[in-house]
Amino acid sequence: MSAHNNEMTFTNDEELTFGKWLKNIWTGISTVLKGMGITFKYVYNVKPVTIEYPEVREELPKNSRSRLFNDAENCISCYQCATACPVDCIYITAKRRDKDAPALKTKDGTSIKLDLLQYTIDTALCCYCGLCTTVCPTECLTHTTDYEFAQYTLDEMKYDYLADDIRAWRERIVK
Amino acid sequence: MEFVNESQEKIKSDLLTVNMGPQHPATHGVLRVEIKTDSEIVSEAIPHIGYLHRCMEKHSESIDYRGVIPFCDRMDYLAAMSMEWGYVQAVEKLLETEVPERAEYIRVIIAELQRIASHLLFYGVYAIDLGAFSPFLYAFQDREKILRIFEEVSGARLLYNYFWIGGVWNDLTDDHLRRIGSFCDEMEENMKKYHNLVGMNKIFRDRTSHVGVVNEKMAYEYGATGAVLRGSGAKWDLRKNRTYGIYDKFDFDVPVGTGEMGTQGDCWDRYYVRVREVFESIKIIRQALEGIEAGPIMGKVPKIIKPPKGEVYVRTECPRGELGYHLVSDGTAKPYRLKVKSSCFTHVSMLPELGKGQMIADFVATIGSIDIVLGEVDR
Amino acid sequence: MSNEIVDFLNKEVPTSNAKLLEVEAGDVPVVVEASSIKDVCFALRDSSDFKFEVLQVISGVDYEDRIEVNYMLASFTKNNEVIVKVNLPKENKDSIPEIESVCDVWKSANFLERETYDMNGVKFLNHPDFRRILCPDDWEGHPLRKDYVVQEKYLDMVVNPEHKINQGDFDFMTKAKLESDEPKKITGSWKGHVSDEMADALKRKMDSLAAAKSE
Repeated sequence: MSAHNNEMTFTNDEELTFGKWLKNIWTGISTVLKGMGITFKYVYNVKPVTIEYPEVREELPKNSRSRLFNDAENCISCYQCATACPVDCIYITAKRRDKDAPALKTKDGTSIKLDLLQYTIDTALCCYCGLCTTVCPTECLTHTTDYEFAQYTLDEMKYDYLADDIRAWRERIVK
Repeated sequence: MEFVNESQEKIKSDLLTVNMGPQHPATHGVLRVEIKTDSEIVSEAIPHIGYLHRCMEKHSESIDYRGVIPFCDRMDYLAAMSMEWGYVQAVEKLLETEVPERAEYIRVIIAELQRIASHLLFYGVYAIDLGAFSPFLYAFQDREKILRIFEEVSGARLLYNYFWIGGVWNDLTDDHLRRIGSFCDEMEENMKKYHNLVGMNKIFRDRTSHVGVVNEKMAYEYGATGAVLRGSGAKWDLRKNRTYGIYDKFDFDVPVGTGEMGTQGDCWDRYYVRVREVFESIKIIRQALEGIEAGPIMGKVPKIIKPPKGEVYVRTECPRGELGYHLVSDGTAKPYRLKVKSSCFTHVSMLPELGKGQMIADFVATIGSIDIVLGEVDR
Repeated sequence: MSNEIVDFLNKEVPTSNAKLLEVEAGDVPVVVEASSIKDVCFALRDSSDFKFEVLQVISGVDYEDRIEVNYMLASFTKNNEVIVKVNLPKENKDSIPEIESVCDVWKSANFLERETYDMNGVKFLNHPDFRRILCPDDWEGHPLRKDYVVQEKYLDMVVNPEHKINQGDFDFMTKAKLESDEPKKITGSWKGHVSDEMADALKRKMDSLAAAKSE
């Protein structure tokens, strides 16, 4: 095969003697056996670390950042979350309350001066960075530890936190 | 053999173009390498990148300084903590912020844990590239423990947003520190085992020694950094040579490739440099665990960050090599320009020269050994 | 450090006209003439005092009247780093300034210059393989220019399809203002992204309200 012996063939510079050949075989066998030993140790000595997902569910740590939830009753419409959001997925509209309207207060005593008209988060855009929850002054916007919220369409990923069924929904998602 | 010679004169041979990628599992993402092959031998390799280009640099021009940190995570999603560190350092340098001592210690501990996690992933994936499957599972088992600690500390598994300008987000509790300490002991034992399982294996050694040799001159010419540069014998580590953070307090070695199993700078050397870096990281973490003291974790940072006019270029040592941020500020609340120097990008530019004259299977081993993450290449 | 480099460059490459940039904060770059960049790079690489054997990154910054190209050089043997800055004047917003390629000096410049061309629109002369790198070859415009507008269609694909923009949510505030009697009381987190018709209608309403008030 004269065409194949040009510069593109790979040869070891060292000459292969019988001793080296035997040594090669010995290192091959011994290192593979060593590896197999480690593998067999794992087969019999190590408990399984995986869990069977739909039956067994892992509980996330308390401060893990998953699905967002806004408690609209305590929201004072300060827009800080929307300003901090790097992907701009929070949409808020609010109307100033009339002066003679009954005074409203949040859980921690901050008076509410604006009525929320729209509080929507497009969860499909959300990057779960947690910047919005850290700036929230009344701590009404929080990350829950719920991580199963796959949907079929993009529209379903848009969460309206002023919806009528928010109570039922909240019980479902905030565990 | 007259017949063969005669027919070969008549046959016109041509190079065959093979597209390796973008969905090839051995390219670690969406790298496409256009290979012109002469039978089994690569005669030309042209990398095509940009399949994961998400305009991170353009995005960062339209958001405030704090909002850029989540984007930094997403560039190199396997070493997100180290990516954040470079960026927050660049902003801190412009702002001239003092970072509290405890925050610096936490940063070192977390970044070194991230380095171990990243190298474990390299170890597992590289073994898969070369046809061994079970090391991948072992590596992930240990990596999972690190990710669990990160999740408890920062709240996320991969994209943390944990390093903040002026400090870190959450404090490490004593329980965390204790668990990190016991993890280090475990990891040291395991890594020795893993190295025996893969690195010393005769098949692995034959696949990787003498393959994909990067010598020191070539590494400098292409601007290679990290394990690729150290594998070729150059003793250069930013943590040691241009100290940042509090790395000057720790005593550790810089492993370099020696050509034990073949030529200096081959794939095995790069692999072994990374394995030894895991031990060095464990060494650093242990010293940091001893030195850490109670204190604040956030420095004084204004509510709206407006750095003065100017530019900085900050380099940090990431698991994959040197990471640089060129940050230009025009005095407003948004960065004027953020340029990321990604080590993987420069390593990809070495592929045409590395691939030339190799077997295709060796080329896969070479790509695996330079450990690229396409998120960082394309940004 | 930077002072020594400036003195060295002015001595070695007289045409470089090197000087330090005056800055308020951060690193101090060395500014050189664009025409002499290749000589400057050769001089810096080969000098025994500095030995900048590594080109770390080329970073283009777009300004209104010029494009700055920054060469980040580093030396691993001498442990130095420097930013070499070049100003390329830009006549209008579509013009592509030209500069000599430094591929002969460092091989890493190959990909980095291609990226700078792709992102900032700087042409590098005598480059061995000059084409786009991150964007597809038939992409229009250079994304990191400040005045970049994304093209509407690329190969019959709409770049920003309507169903992926939450126009309804953007328009909510304007709609609420249009329906309300006191539109000034309504505020929202969104200022822009309102469709033109809505913005016009709102403007008419505000004008009429203002007129009614003045009467």
